[in-house]
Amino acid sequence: MRCPSCAADNIQGVDTCAECGADLADLDLPEAGRGFSGRLLGDRIGDLKLSPPIVLAPEASVSEAVVAMREARQGCVFIERDGAVAGLFNERHLLTRVLRKDLDPKVTPLSAVMSTDLLQLTPDDPPAFAVHCMVSRGLRHLPVVSEGTLTGFVSVRTILGYLNEMAG
Amino acid sequence: MAKAFDQVLVDVRIDDLPRRRVCRAEPSTPLGEIYRRLDEERGVAVLICDGPELLGIFTERDILYSTALEGSLDTPIGDLMTRDLVTISRDDALVDAIRTMSEKGIRHLPVLGSDGEEAGLIGGRDVLKMIADYFPGTLLNLPPRLHQTMDRPEGG
Repeated sequence: MRCPSCAADNIQGVDTCAECGADLADLDLPEAGRGFSGRLLGDRIGDLKLSPPIVLAPEASVSEAVVAMREARQGCVFIERDGAVAGLFNERHLLTRVLRKDLDPKVTPLSAVMSTDLLQLTPDDPPAFAVHCMVSRGLRHLPVVSEGTLTGFVSVRTILGYLNEMAG
Repeated sequence: MAKAFDQVLVDVRIDDLPRRRVCRAEPSTPLGEIYRRLDEERGVAVLICDGPELLGIFTERDILYSTALEGSLDTPIGDLMTRDLVTISRDDALVDAIRTMSEKGIRHLPVLGSDGEEAGLIGGRDVLKMIADYFPGTLLNLPPRLHQTMDRPEGG
């Protein structure tokens, strides 16, 4: 690791230059603007093309959610209670929690079949964080919440679009 | 030094991607059986084949449109599947998968071999996983939250 002030060669990871004492602490941090990794760590999720979320009440039925998802051509709906995100219902839940359990979609409320305790992103989080959650935790839709308000969501499709744009 | 993103995109072939275990069915398979297999085999899509020939696909998303909400679970999947397939070749590059998925709005691509035979399926998350494998420092070794502060001492 070369010191930017005096060009002395230092051991990787040291905080100060052994030669001139310059601060080297920031040198080996991943830096925004350096290629792919830099963009994934430096860009903001708030600047991606986020999909506008469909928002329903906990009492809304699964059928209502399906109709809304079809119309918006989206794979999930968010459920808000008292103005805060309370849950998520997606096409996988439709299969595993409704159809396979022989529940009647017309009378089953979303509150009975939605996922709760959602991992939320903020607009300032980097795209790398969303990819990390999708890959390592198997999540497919991540709500983006700004000061308590749901402003959009990130899906696998959002990330593919972002990568495609970066690939040029 | 790790490869650059652009290089990974063109160097990695579809064949290099860890393929999902594929669910396959015949056109006569009833919808209810397709639901059972997607659920129990944790599949994201079923490829509908007649022997080696790929006829169509039925994905999680199709459940929304041709659900048993209105129809019958006995409907043969051949009547519901998507026949107009967008596929990818096992020799294509990762960038081709990203482009096709992104521009056509499709998350699941059947993979075809050199003789046009069906050779599996890749999904959007498989692509993300592959990229994460190449850039673990950027994508996998992240703290749960980047600027997280703990509200309790460790072990507390």
